[in-house]
Amino acid sequence: MAEYHLTAPLTDEDVKQLKIGDIVYISGPAFTCRSRLQKYIFDEKNVLPFSTENRNVLIHNGPIVVKENGKWKLNSFMPTSSIRFEKWGAKSVDEWGLKMIVGKTTMGKETAKMMKEKKCVHVSPRSVSPNLWIDSIKVETVHLYDELGRIEAAWFFDLNDIGPFIVDIDCEGNNFFDQLDEKIAERKEKAMRDLGIEEGWEYTKLY
Amino acid sequence: MIKTEVYEEALFQTIKRGATEISDDVKEAFEKAIERETSEDAKKGLKTTLESMEMSAKRENPLCVDTGWPIFYFKVGNKCELEGGFVELENAARRAVAKATELGYLRATMKHPLTGYDPGNNIGMNIPDFTYKFVDGDGIEISYAAKGGGSECFGGTRHRIVAFADGIKGIEKFVIESFVASARAGAVCPPSVLGIGIGGTANVAANLAKEAACLRTVGSKHPDPMFAKIEEDLYKALNSLGIGILGAGGDTSVLAVNVEYAYTHIAGIACATSTNCMIARRASSRIDADGTVTRMKSPMWFGDR
Repeated sequence: MAEYHLTAPLTDEDVKQLKIGDIVYISGPAFTCRSRLQKYIFDEKNVLPFSTENRNVLIHNGPIVVKENGKWKLNSFMPTSSIRFEKWGAKSVDEWGLKMIVGKTTMGKETAKMMKEKKCVHVSPRSVSPNLWIDSIKVETVHLYDELGRIEAAWFFDLNDIGPFIVDIDCEGNNFFDQLDEKIAERKEKAMRDLGIEEGWEYTKLY
Repeated sequence: MIKTEVYEEALFQTIKRGATEISDDVKEAFEKAIERETSEDAKKGLKTTLESMEMSAKRENPLCVDTGWPIFYFKVGNKCELEGGFVELENAARRAVAKATELGYLRATMKHPLTGYDPGNNIGMNIPDFTYKFVDGDGIEISYAAKGGGSECFGGTRHRIVAFADGIKGIEKFVIESFVASARAGAVCPPSVLGIGIGGTANVAANLAKEAACLRTVGSKHPDPMFAKIEEDLYKALNSLGIGILGAGGDTSVLAVNVEYAYTHIAGIACATSTNCMIARRASSRIDADGTVTRMKSPMWFGDR
């Protein structure tokens, strides 16, 4: 597995080289979103009040940002679960021109399909370590603060070599976790047999 | 009589500690997991997580950005007297949650379930949640647990009624299948502290599972050998799966498996699971009748465990 240190905005070439299982660190401009922003744009048909042309790294995250001496300061940061945004995943990749989504729990088939078509990857954290990241993330500004609230607003970050993240969906539509699932399923069968739960054993159907 | 200002300050300090400090027993479980981990990536993930958690205590910032559902457990002495009574205890807990949110120890995470309205202070209908247990004595023990969204939302909390005909096999199959599904791609933030409730009505089993996940001392065993064996068997089984930290592979998928039980109906065995995320945030304090506040290492919700 290779290790990459990439600088955003990312190009097709940057992300096409990434394979599932590779480790990446990211620098440069990124923005955050959660459910309310995607609902506000894609379901309620509002216009995104900023351009993503030179900001094509999206972090699924609701950070804790506080104001200190008139300046925004990041108090905690940890990518959140992307799968809950699957309904909007393909649209966000397509309409926002994303090259990378950072989040937990990977994403589903529709998003992966769009990622393959548009050349975009999904990457996941390997640890829960906000304190190793917050000093390397500069809060630039915030959009839709009044409309969506402090947690679900679109925060603009300037990242300085943030990682490690593992590539879990690559530009070919491969999913790291789908492959791991197969190994886990085999081990699960063995673990059950060891506990005396034979293959094909079924619950008494109560409902 | 314990004064309002005493228990309100104790509540606030307990919340702050729960949000920003790793418990000794969780830390010990992390150290053991790091020692036995054979995957270099997973070992690094565990180490950097522990490192970040230790920094939180010094920097007084949240251990994780998701500061969870605010949940209180009160173990109350039968003769405990509080100024303003227990209604005021709950009011003080709400004030302490709001203060902790304002000061940035908690993220404003609690919202209206339908409108998404964010009160900005984590206070709303039936939140925070309060659970009481009554014991002999005249003091009160306060536990604050922060139940993370990942650990709660992705199938880490489930229930099933198992037939007596299926017994332990049915219970163990249910637990393993639930856990594997919920831990996929790190959804419940493994390695988990897995709580299992057996018996009672469905909600009794679910409450026991949550208490076993959030309050039991990590590394403790159920005193009844039958239940201790289920804990041990499932701990081994789940750690043989290779799910690892945040589901990306590794030797430790659970930090602990804790089982609690209640008697059940002859008709069936309610069985519930509750996963707590790897950080397993909680803190406890004891207030004696004379107003002395002591920091507790572990909630001791289930007697000695």
